[in-house]
Amino acid sequence: MPLDVVVCLKQVPNPDLQFQVAADGKDIRRDALNYKTNGADEYALEEAVRLKEKFGGKVTALTAGPKRAEQMLREAMAKGADAAVRLAFDDPAAVDDYQVANMIAAAIAKRPHDLVLTGVQSDDYGYSATGPLVAGFLKIPHASVVTRVEVSEKGLKVWRELEGGDQEVVSLARPALLTIQFGINQPRYAPLPAIMKASRQPIEEVKPTDLGQSTWDGFRGPYTLAVRKVSPPAAKGHAEMIPGNVADQAKAVAQLLREKGFVRG
Amino acid sequence: MGANVVAVAEHREGKIAGVTYELVAKGRELAAKTGGAVQVALLGKGVSGLAGEVASRGVEVLLAEHDALAAYTAGGYAQALAAMLRSPPKILLAGHTSQGFDLAPRLAAEWTAPIVANCVDLAMEDGTLIASRKILNDKMAVELAVTSERPYIATLRPGSVKPVGPAGAPGKVTPVSVLIDPAKNGRTFHGYERPEVQDIDIAAADVVVSAGRGIQKKENLPVIEGLAKALGGVVGASRPLTDMDWLPKTRQVGQSGKTVRPKLYIACGISGAMQHIAGMKDAGLIIAINTDPSAPIFEVAHYGVVANVLEFVPALVKELKSG
Ligand SMILES: Cc1cc2nc3c(=O)[nH]c(=O)nc-3n(C[C@H](O)[C@H](O)[C@H](O)COP(=O)(O)OP(=O)(O)OC[C@H]3O[C@@H](n4cnc5c(N)ncnc54)[C@H](O)[C@@H]3O)c2cc1C
Repeated sequence: MPLDVVVCLKQVPNPDLQFQVAADGKDIRRDALNYKTNGADEYALEEAVRLKEKFGGKVTALTAGPKRAEQMLREAMAKGADAAVRLAFDDPAAVDDYQVANMIAAAIAKRPHDLVLTGVQSDDYGYSATGPLVAGFLKIPHASVVTRVEVSEKGLKVWRELEGGDQEVVSLARPALLTIQFGINQPRYAPLPAIMKASRQPIEEVKPTDLGQSTWDGFRGPYTLAVRKVSPPAAKGHAEMIPGNVADQAKAVAQLLREKGFVRG
Repeated sequence: MGANVVAVAEHREGKIAGVTYELVAKGRELAAKTGGAVQVALLGKGVSGLAGEVASRGVEVLLAEHDALAAYTAGGYAQALAAMLRSPPKILLAGHTSQGFDLAPRLAAEWTAPIVANCVDLAMEDGTLIASRKILNDKMAVELAVTSERPYIATLRPGSVKPVGPAGAPGKVTPVSVLIDPAKNGRTFHGYERPEVQDIDIAAADVVVSAGRGIQKKENLPVIEGLAKALGGVVGASRPLTDMDWLPKTRQVGQSGKTVRPKLYIACGISGAMQHIAGMKDAGLIIAINTDPSAPIFEVAHYGVVANVLEFVPALVKELKSG
């Protein structure tokens, strides 16, 4: 039973960086960022490729994002995706997840999809909303925070993570959408020949007109949405920082631990 | 559209999740602005006892009971809520939890309604919903203004507001009948699974020294173990380390792992993602070591050390031993 799997990927700013507010106060400064594939999406891609290796079929890596995201799609192809699609949505901030999910759903609706995978959350925004939104627009069942997938004749059996380390076992009819949790597998590295090959593979570009709208604004919901302010978080209870070089810091912390009675003898 | 604020109750195996009462607290504040009331939608089967428990916090409970609601499924809840709320609320609130962010965005798509997820605060200003969120691993705060004639759907991050406590006068429980077509649900619940514990219980320790991705390789774990030993404590971890099998799952601190309240918690190379903080913020004394001065772990730590953990920890162990 070959599976057509569409895996949705997002390119995000490396979250280990320090960020600055843009001059207009409505976004972060984006001129000096480096971008990477969203962490959870790496696991979604790996799961898609493993399912294809087991059951046959095709993996399509899909993103909505600026041209720079092609790099991520090529990496996905080097790791086993058969085809890549980029919705040419150039808004670098993309704060309206309803709009983004709506356009992604429209693009998926036009191609075969037994299974749609996304990451459980994006590392930049952390809304965990895109997957269930896409499923809602496609009117297909979904499950979030998936840590294990079993494919059966007609459907899927999946394990969903709940709070406190508990899991919930559910089954879904196909087609279905799953948001994939960190740790479900160990993502592979791309072998060099595959990277070379992927650099020559085509990437399908989708424009709003291909999906029946004159602009991407046609995918917005019935509301207005505006960023009022981006700012460093108001420090609530910032830690008292221990100054000095490592030797000074170690001395100070050892002293502190002694004073608080954590050191015996 | 009505003016009410409806909070979707979360419960599992006969227990109400604490976030439910946080939603009521925030919902009450918002309802004061929308000119409506806050109500809790409690969906389940054989849960009238839970309805009474929620109502005792002084809030009206809309109670829907149905076989198809015996356990949470997105499809079952979506059908029930659509049937219950014939006049849509002004705002629908859910927790930003495994259940809440599974459900709320799907409702937004089905209701053609705006969604703001993972909010740390919400306010109403002249019919506009102001959502405060933290992004980029909590390194930036964003304020978003959304205006719509459709219901606003929002998920609130657990621990963001003080929950409502027991009230003098309980709210009423209003049973609502719902029709659910299980065939349209698309998802069937089978059961819960719990990890089997064959390890020390880090939640019972007075001192927890936790390692994060900042320790860089598994081979560096002995550095952290050395500090734990020197302090008579145990080694915990952030999720990536247990995902990579550097440590057993039982050592994971956080929302999807253990909640710990030791007297001393030392976070070594942990950025401080909300899911990690959920599991350790109530420790008596928190010390964090991180190379990044903007790491959000320094927001919850009492003392912070900006240093390479692989240099600092051995130096600290030496100091402790020489004392
Ligand atoms: C549904 C869900 C549930 C989750 N549940 C949990 C949970 O229960 N527990 C949990 O921990 N996570 C959980 N997570 C994951 C969480 O979002 C973060 O990804 C995770 O906590 C990050 O772990 P970390 O801080 O070790 O790694 P990172 O975020 O990568 O941080 C590493 C840190 O180390 C610092 N660093 C790097 N090198 C050094 C050095 N040499 N010395 C000192 N510092 C250094 C960096 O500056 C950085 O701040 C969950 C995620 C989801 C989506």
